[in-house]
Amino acid sequence: MKTLMENVMNQIKDLNAEGDLIFSDSKVLKMSAQGGAISEYKVSSAQILGVRVVKNDSVGISFTEALDRDSVRIAVKQALQNAEANAPNVHEKIIKSGGELLDQGLYPEEETDIKVKTEKALWLESAVKALDSRVTVVPHNSYSENIYQSLYLNSSGRKTEFSTKTYSIVSSALLEDRGRKANYHDYHLAHRFQDLNWKKVVETSLYHAKNILSSKTLPTGKYQVIFSQDCLQELMDCFSDFFSAKAVLDKVNPWENKLHEQVISADLSIEDHPLYVEAFRTKMFDSEGVASKALSIVLDGKLNSFIHNSLTASQLNTVTTGHASRGPASSLDVATSTILIKGKNQKPLPPKYLEVIQMDGLYSGANSITGAFSVGIKGYLWEHGEKIATVGGVTLSGNLLKMLNDVEVVGEILEPSNDLTFFSVPLVFHDISIAGE
Amino acid sequence: MQLLETKLAQDIIFQGLAMGASFVEVFVERTETEGMVLRNSRAEDAQSGVIFGIGIRLICDEQSLYGYTNSTEREELLRITKLLGTRIGKLGLSSKPVNFEKVSYPKIPTIADQEVDAKYKLNFFKNIDQQFRTDPKVSQVILSFTKKKQMIEVYNSLGMYATEERPYIRLMHRMVLKDGSFQSEAHHGPGSIGGWSFIESLDIREIGEALLKQAKTTLYAPPCPAGKMPVVIDNGFGGVIFHEACGHLLETTSVEKKASVFWDKMGEKIAHSALTAIDDGTLAGEWGSLSIDDEGMPTEKTTLIQDGILKTFLCDRMGEIKTGHRRTGSGRRQSYKFAPASRMRNTFIEKGPHSLNEIIGSIPHGLYAKKMGGGSVDPSTGEFNFSVQEAYLIKDGKITTPVKSATLIGTGPEVMSKISMVGNNFSLMAGMCGSVSGSIPTTVGQPCIKVDEILVGGEA
Repeated sequence: MKTLMENVMNQIKDLNAEGDLIFSDSKVLKMSAQGGAISEYKVSSAQILGVRVVKNDSVGISFTEALDRDSVRIAVKQALQNAEANAPNVHEKIIKSGGELLDQGLYPEEETDIKVKTEKALWLESAVKALDSRVTVVPHNSYSENIYQSLYLNSSGRKTEFSTKTYSIVSSALLEDRGRKANYHDYHLAHRFQDLNWKKVVETSLYHAKNILSSKTLPTGKYQVIFSQDCLQELMDCFSDFFSAKAVLDKVNPWENKLHEQVISADLSIEDHPLYVEAFRTKMFDSEGVASKALSIVLDGKLNSFIHNSLTASQLNTVTTGHASRGPASSLDVATSTILIKGKNQKPLPPKYLEVIQMDGLYSGANSITGAFSVGIKGYLWEHGEKIATVGGVTLSGNLLKMLNDVEVVGEILEPSNDLTFFSVPLVFHDISIAGE
Repeated sequence: MQLLETKLAQDIIFQGLAMGASFVEVFVERTETEGMVLRNSRAEDAQSGVIFGIGIRLICDEQSLYGYTNSTEREELLRITKLLGTRIGKLGLSSKPVNFEKVSYPKIPTIADQEVDAKYKLNFFKNIDQQFRTDPKVSQVILSFTKKKQMIEVYNSLGMYATEERPYIRLMHRMVLKDGSFQSEAHHGPGSIGGWSFIESLDIREIGEALLKQAKTTLYAPPCPAGKMPVVIDNGFGGVIFHEACGHLLETTSVEKKASVFWDKMGEKIAHSALTAIDDGTLAGEWGSLSIDDEGMPTEKTTLIQDGILKTFLCDRMGEIKTGHRRTGSGRRQSYKFAPASRMRNTFIEKGPHSLNEIIGSIPHGLYAKKMGGGSVDPSTGEFNFSVQEAYLIKDGKITTPVKSATLIGTGPEVMSKISMVGNNFSLMAGMCGSVSGSIPTTVGQPCIKVDEILVGGEA
């Protein structure tokens, strides 16, 4: 593939253009069980080549999953045609740096026999059923492994190579009792088969499903709310445009004119840390081949920096922060890697609060420009350190921009999300609208 | 253009049968895509691409084995088939290659294509951009154009060979308004099976006015009050309520696992008698239409619910094997990367006798959801949620104050029994539906409906 990429790059240069290429290769094995047997078994191998060219200050991209000589040649031609269709943009350029960067996820392990993997996949279903007679089915359960490789080459000679291996397991529990139904799922990721925590996934899904089965609604009103780390991560992801210099250029970032101003509580700081060692994986470089480093986005409540790629940096008169994000079939954007929310002025937990463990429909009910959102939720009501009720059938409405200003830090340790890509101190949000009875 | 040599398809199927599969299917796809975004009144992100791959499915009893690759190399395709076949663990009875017979089927009419070059398109979009920016509060207009041509071939061990070319075209409109610290936005995304003529047929002025009205309505609107109340959901994208609250629960993908609350309710009353619901893959030009499904079966018009009674599940081949219900031409997938699953096509509630005014007039206090956003459902519990993009309070039978940030939640069986009035202003709207076999084009639709009570999430 490296030779093919070199050849394609030569074609681009022969056409008096600059460019970069992204190749990705993914091999997946996945199986799930139903009724005590493997009901679905999937193996795959997929490759894709993405071409980006810059000619006469215009950029065009194309991609192809057919990697024969003709298809690749046509992809280059189409990228050039697309560049002609786009308006010139002197700010989008190929980075002028050569050299080779490697980020190979090496996770040595002994090969596990497929029979063992199959038995464990079957166990994901049977274990949930064995633990509670009210489990009717296990609608979502799967074991999967993914070997992924990505290569990058640009016309300045910059080469990067990234590879990783990820195992994942999912289990759910659908319980039924006296006409009521409850479902909850949990998952776990690991780089080595032996690190998968099968028991945790089964027990967590069952624990929450059991509680949700007896959930009650709440009187409509304002509540103190703590989000689970997964829910808080989902919220921050949904509104990640707040950090994005691309969203500033697109005029859809509410913090567009707030650089160096107070945007959230002075007790909070937000960093993106691509090299954070506790994260599921570190990221050595971005999609333009720029070395990654930690970035303070918000410091003591003040907006310190947006995340940039070379295009946004050039257009906004600054330097790239190494947050370029681009897949083979997409245009240049920005993205964070591992968000850390740090806090100070720790306060005690309030005597009564609602812990949100599941949000439904966040993306459809969110307005990324205003920060407003409204979701269906499930969770637990806590009083004086005790879980006094499981809550369901209610909605939560809020505005993240306002919420981040009316928040208290209630712990000092950075707690991780399930996928280890988000870490935050525990936070209590005040006066959140809950609609129920 | 044939995407895969017939002999190679024969050999894959022979190999699969020889390894004990009772059914083998080869799905070949080549999709050519193109797109362009107009942002900040400039053309950006013009792009194109080719999606190409082959999916191989082996079925043995109730087990589905699926593999895919981008390669057309014989060795790779047979390697994947063998890899899947070894999971079956028994020898098959196949002794001779399958001979294919090409399926003939009625072709669903599409909207005619019209060759236009990039410059023409750009000028066309710039003209829309200009029309949309007449109000000084409009701070951004983003137009995203996508066009794709999906060519598929399906071969199976029953000797079936089917092929279809599906043209898709869509133009997403996004308008952002800003006034000091107030911001709001509105979206609209019409799509069709067909070509450029569809884009030319859009009433841009009407779309622009509707977007501006919607964005202005929510710009200063107070948050929606929370609580249980009657809700009128208007036509078009309002159909997302049926799609989420009921449609997904009628797919055998959920039914076969008994993971749908309706799995054992065939022939029973599951909705108010005012409601009849259809899933129709044969509508001319509609975004969710297709002549054959991704298993090669001609699509059809399927009555799901008649006067409140459950009549049919949406069924694919695995659904038929596992539940015994007949196939309905509903086996769909995003691409060769997914095994097919029973999915919706153009799904809608049929029109009823009432006018919108009549329905609004029947409500002393409630919510009028003029335009819905997206939503989601857990089929196993029936719990759904969806957002409202444009909403107004109803007071004493009249539409009054606009409100924002409303969400509706409930369960499918509960809300279906509470649809008590069905209007006569039927319309359809294009959308994308994500589920087990990926993201596919679907159409939702309905006339306005009245739900007697639903939990509205908003400001407490």
